Amino acid sequence: MSPATGRSSDAAENEINRRDFVRGGVVAALGMVAAVGSVAHARRHQPVRDPVGPETTRALPAPKTIPEDETADVLVRMQAELRRAMAKPVEQRRWAMVIDTRKCVGCFACTVACMAENKLPPGVVYRPVVQEEFGQYPNVQLRFFPRPCMQCDQPPCVPVCPVNATWKRPDGVVAIDYDKCIGCRYCVAACPYGARTSDFGHFYTEGTPQRMPYETLPNHEYGKSWSRERHGSPMGNARKCQFCLHRLEEGELPQCVTTCIGRANYFGDANDPGSLVAEKLRAANQVKLLEEKHTKPRVVYLV
Amino acid sequence: MNKRTTLKWMLGLAVVATLVGGIGLVQKFVTGERLAGYGSYVPWGLWVALYFHGVGIAGGAFAIGVVGYLLGVAGFREHLRVTIWVSAVSLVMGLFSIWLDLGQPWRMYRIFTDPSFTSMMAFNAWMYMFFLTLMAICFVLSVRKDSPTALHDRSGWLVPLLMVGGLIGIAFPSQSGAFFGVVDAKPYWHTAMLPIMFLTSAIAAGGAVLLLVFTFVLPENTPASAPPLAMLRRVTLGAVLFYLGAEFAELSIAYWSPVSAHRDAFNLVLFGPFWWVFWVVHLGGAAVGLALLSRQGSLPVVGTGAFVVALTFVSSRLNILIPGQAVEQLKGLREAFMHPRLEHYYEATQNEYLVALFIGGISVLLVAVGIKLIRQLVDSREATVP
Repeated sequence: MSPATGRSSDAAENEINRRDFVRGGVVAALGMVAAVGSVAHARRHQPVRDPVGPETTRALPAPKTIPEDETADVLVRMQAELRRAMAKPVEQRRWAMVIDTRKCVGCFACTVACMAENKLPPGVVYRPVVQEEFGQYPNVQLRFFPRPCMQCDQPPCVPVCPVNATWKRPDGVVAIDYDKCIGCRYCVAACPYGARTSDFGHFYTEGTPQRMPYETLPNHEYGKSWSRERHGSPMGNARKCQFCLHRLEEGELPQCVTTCIGRANYFGDANDPGSLVAEKLRAANQVKLLEEKHTKPRVVYLV
Repeated sequence: MNKRTTLKWMLGLAVVATLVGGIGLVQKFVTGERLAGYGSYVPWGLWVALYFHGVGIAGGAFAIGVVGYLLGVAGFREHLRVTIWVSAVSLVMGLFSIWLDLGQPWRMYRIFTDPSFTSMMAFNAWMYMFFLTLMAICFVLSVRKDSPTALHDRSGWLVPLLMVGGLIGIAFPSQSGAFFGVVDAKPYWHTAMLPIMFLTSAIAAGGAVLLLVFTFVLPENTPASAPPLAMLRRVTLGAVLFYLGAEFAELSIAYWSPVSAHRDAFNLVLFGPFWWVFWVVHLGGAAVGLALLSRQGSLPVVGTGAFVVALTFVSSRLNILIPGQAVEQLKGLREAFMHPRLEHYYEATQNEYLVALFIGGISVLLVAVGIKLIRQLVDSREATVP
C-alpha cells in the first residue's frame, strides 16, 4: 500500500473495469427508467374511484308545505336548486360556495353546526371563522371570513398523498378515504389554507370519570358510518370539510349554509346558470383566498 | 480512557437510553398520538426530524463508504460490511421513527400495495426499499465468496451493485430535500436549495457517523492520519463547511432582499423561542466539530469530533422542518379556533424525547452488536483458510 495515497498497491485489483461499469450502468439506467415511468404514469393516469353516469342521479322529493316562489327564503331556493343538481349525473355537477363577508356577522353558528354535524373531536375544525381587523383607530372595521375547505380545482393536498387516499371527485369535492389514509399528514402540510386538521384521538371528556356517549357516536361523512372507538378511522387521519356530501345526497344543503343566520352562505351547482350560486359567482366584487398559490379554489368571497 | 473503556461507557449509556426511552415507546403504543406535541398547523416534529437524520446518515455513510471502497482506500474494503451495517441500521431506525409518527401506523403497507408516485413520500419509501434490498444483496455478495480467502474479492456483481447503491445513497437524501421543496404552501421550504442542503447534511452526518464507528473498529494505535480516517475527516469537514456556506447564502438573500417570504421563518430560526437550536446546537456543534476534526489529533479527539457533528447535525433538519411550518400562511387562523393542536408553535414533549432516546440507544446497540457479529463471521471464515 502506498502511504502517500492510502491506496492499495495492487492497482489492477482496485481498478473498476469496463464490465463493472456497464453492469452498474445498466442496473442504474433500468432503475431510472422504472422511476421516471412510474411517476409519469401516476401523473397521467389518475385512478377512477367514483361511479359516474345515470346511476348517480337522485330523484329527491320536493317539499309539500313550503312554497318555492320568488318570496321564498334563499335557503328554500338553494334547496330546490340542489334537487335539480342531484337529478343530474355527478360529473355534471360542479359544487361551489360563495360567502358574502358583508353579511357575515361572526356568530360562529356555522363552525358549531359543522362540529355537531360531523361530530368533530377536540382539535379538529372544518370551518373556523377568521377575523380580520383593518383600518386605523378610530376608523377600524372587522371582517369575518369563514374558511371551509376550498375544494380547489388544483388541490395541492391530493398529489402528495402517498397512498391514493384523497382525490378530486367528479363533482369537484376533494374527498378522503379514511380507511386508506395512513395519517402521514403530508396533505395537512401541503394545504396553504390550513383546511386539513388531523384527528389526534382526543375526547372532550378526557380526564373525567366517564366518557360521554355522544363522543363515541359514529359520524356519517361520505355516506358511511365512522366510529372512533378502538382507534378506528377517522382517528389518526387527516380530516376536512367535504361540503357535507352525506347531506347533499339526501337533498340537504351543507350544515353551515343551513345554519347561517345572516344568509351569508350561498351553495349550489355552478354548472346551473340559473342557480343562486352561479349568479353570485358572476359578481365583480369577489376574491379568492391565496389566489397566488394557483390552487383555483371553489370557495369565493364577496367583499 | 482507552477504546475498550470508552466503548463500554458508550454501550452502557445506550442500554440506559434504550431502557428509559422504552418507557416512552410503551406510552406511545398505549396512548397513540395524544402525548405528542405536534398538531395540525405544525404537523411534523422531532420524530420526522429524526427520520430525515437517520435516512441522511444511511445515504451519506453508504455513499462515502462505497466511494472509498471503489477508489481502493485502505480500510474501506476491509470494513465494507461494517459500512453496510451502519447504513442499514440508520435507515431502519429512521424508518422506525417515521412509522411511529403515522396516525395509522399499521396501514403503512399501503405505500407498497397502493402507492401514488405523484407523492414524493411514496417515491422515497420505494427508494428506501430498493436501497435496503441492494444493501442486503451487497452484504451477502461480500460474504458468500467461493473461498474464505476471497472475502474481499471484487469480482462478480458486487462492484456494479455498490455503484448503483452509491447512486441511490446520494439520490434519496436529495429527495428528502425535494420532499419539502415541492410543498408550495410553505415558502421557506419551496426552494431548490433544499435538496442540495439535505444531501450535504447527509454527507456530513453520514461521514461523521462512519468516522466515529471506524475509530472503534480500527486498531487502537491507528493514527488519525490513517487513510480511512483521513478521508472521512476531510469529507465530513468539507460537507460541514459547504452546509454552513449554503445556509449563509439562504440567510443573506432573505435578509438582503427588501421583502422576502422566507424572512419570517429565518427570524424564528435566529431569534425565535428556539434560537439556541441554531446558535448553540447547530453553530456551536459545527464549530466544536470543525475544531476537533481539522487537527491531526488522536483517535479519541477525532471520535469526539465525529460524535459532536453526528449528534448536532440533527439541528439542521429541525431548523428546516419546524420554522417552515411555524409561519402562518393565513393570518388570523390560529385565533379563529383555539386548541393546543391548532398552534403555530411546536415544542417536543417528554414522550417525543423519550422515544428519540430509545431510537438513539437502540441504534448504537444494534450497530455494536452487528459489528461484533460481522467480526466473528470474518474471523470464522478466515480461520478455515487451509
